[in-house]
Amino acid sequence: MSTAVIRANRRKLVILAVLVLLCAAGYMLVDVRFSNPKLFSYAMRLRAPKLLVMLITAFAIGGASIVFQTIINNTIVTPCLLGMNSLYTLIHTAVVFFFGSGSLIAVSANLSFAVDVVLMGIVATVLYSWIFKKTKHNVLYVLLVGTVLTSFFGSIQSTLTRVMDPNEYDSLLNSLVASFSNVNSEIILFSLILLAGVIFALRKELALLDVLTLGKHQAINLGVDYDRCIRKLLLGVTLCIAVATAMVGPISFLGLIIANLSRQLLRTFRHSQLILGSALFGMVVLIGGQLIVEHVYSYAVPVSVFITVGGGVYFLYLLLTRKKV
Amino acid sequence: MQIQKLTKQYDGKTVVDGVSFAIPKGKVISLIGPNGAGKSTVMGMISRLIAQDSGLVDFEGRDIGKWKSKELAKRLAILTQSNNIQMKLTVEELVTFGRFPYSGNRITAQDREIIDRAIRYMELEPFRDRFIDELSGGQRQRAMIAMVIAQDTEYVLLDEPTNNLDIYHATNLMKTVRKLCDELGKTVILVLHEINYAAFYSDYICAFKDGKIAKFGTVEEVMTKENLSKIYQVDFEILNIAGKPLSVYY
Ligand SMILES: Nc1ncnc2c1ncn2[C@@H]1O[C@H](COP(=O)(O)OP(=O)(O)OP(=O)(O)O)[C@@H](O)[C@H]1O
Ligand SMILES: [Mg+2]
Repeated sequence: MSTAVIRANRRKLVILAVLVLLCAAGYMLVDVRFSNPKLFSYAMRLRAPKLLVMLITAFAIGGASIVFQTIINNTIVTPCLLGMNSLYTLIHTAVVFFFGSGSLIAVSANLSFAVDVVLMGIVATVLYSWIFKKTKHNVLYVLLVGTVLTSFFGSIQSTLTRVMDPNEYDSLLNSLVASFSNVNSEIILFSLILLAGVIFALRKELALLDVLTLGKHQAINLGVDYDRCIRKLLLGVTLCIAVATAMVGPISFLGLIIANLSRQLLRTFRHSQLILGSALFGMVVLIGGQLIVEHVYSYAVPVSVFITVGGGVYFLYLLLTRKKV
Repeated sequence: MQIQKLTKQYDGKTVVDGVSFAIPKGKVISLIGPNGAGKSTVMGMISRLIAQDSGLVDFEGRDIGKWKSKELAKRLAILTQSNNIQMKLTVEELVTFGRFPYSGNRITAQDREIIDRAIRYMELEPFRDRFIDELSGGQRQRAMIAMVIAQDTEYVLLDEPTNNLDIYHATNLMKTVRKLCDELGKTVILVLHEINYAAFYSDYICAFKDGKIAKFGTVEEVMTKENLSKIYQVDFEILNIAGKPLSVYY
């Protein structure tokens, strides 16, 4: 039967992938004037990077959320709910603040991203593993601490921007916080290399994810070097969140939605399938959402608003329908 | 396996206090004692799940903390007292995890055979494809034990394996434990609350009380009226049935 489940899940994943392709094709081609080659290539040059950014973001958030849930052994938390993306925004603002908007670090998108990523990797890994230890992985405490941290990082960040010279801030606003109408496509190549590097460096740990779902003691019993493995995976998660936040800004509930949709659809412990499902769901939500936002609402409401509203409701639904947290 | 002066404190309270003993190889050893005596904590420390505050666990001539976790997983397996697995997992998939230390995620034909044998030992054939969160408590416990058996290690540690099992399956388990020891030469260490199972099926008994060893010896040495009354604060009578000292308490 387990092989039947694997096969059925493969079919579901193929359907999801087809959906992604349809969304992507729709996003690229709706309202494009094919008759005018100039306009056509203009539209392509405008849309292609954005599409790529959304694909990368969906993969980074989808993968990171599933891995994070397995690390903490609970499916109701995601890195973004615990303030990881606010931390990234804060780090990015602080770097610009302390180095000045004219500095090389602030001007070069790739350089400032590199600095952010290094800082983020260190700060987040230390901070979150400390929190997990202190709260003994008690999910309610972790969630509470995470919520406090989210607003804490947020207020420091907004204080920093307020202290900045208003002119400087104004000119920086665009590059400071990315969003869907203003994706940071300069760092696409860097992000792709970084993600590939993370996956390569963590290939052994990623193969342990299935065993980690049995819990800490079982994992150790089966020969996993637990603390080291968790630390490495956590570092990978923070880097993925850094990539996503740098490119499109914070979207808190996306990870929660797509990770849980993937778990509900596939009902398996196999992480290769769960991660793929989560990433594909992310692509459908982001690209499909953006398609609707651009062509139905003509940009009046950004897609992140829909995700936040929908995600919030979904989060409540998950909390209320679960027997135990 | 040698255990020397193991000590563990929780919040300033000493729960295991200078425990030393040598585990005889190729035998069945039962740990007994009242709730909170420190049995599970000792089991955790001798299987590297819990770090001791002081003392040494010498496993095959080397400090257990110095072993590579992966190597150790091929030589020692433990079933802990409480297990909650949140994943959608069938019995067969769970048991298959027992082979992880050997084959990772790539299961061989030989692994399959060992998995089938473990499932047969625990009489789980009818539940093979059922999800473990849809089983009864006893069925789930048997699945967990089957996984430990599939790990096929020289040392097998079971913390209250008879939990949730009915008399038939508990007795069957104890017979399996004997078989693991007598036919496959394994060393089995188990925590039991049913003293008579301990008396009937094990070679040695180690009785704990208040974090210390109250008595360690052969079944005959430990199973006396005086020893048991002192450990449990309950009146005991010892009867000799089928050549074994069995107890009645009231
Ligand atoms: N993680 C922990 N934190 C704090 N105290 C603990 C912890 N684990 C165990 N203890 C305490 O240590 C003592 C020994 O616990 P242990 O689980 O070893 O007992 P036990 O002999 O296995 O009991 P039982 O028969 O009920 O399983 C108990 O008083 C318990 O409250
Ligand atoms: Mg116990």
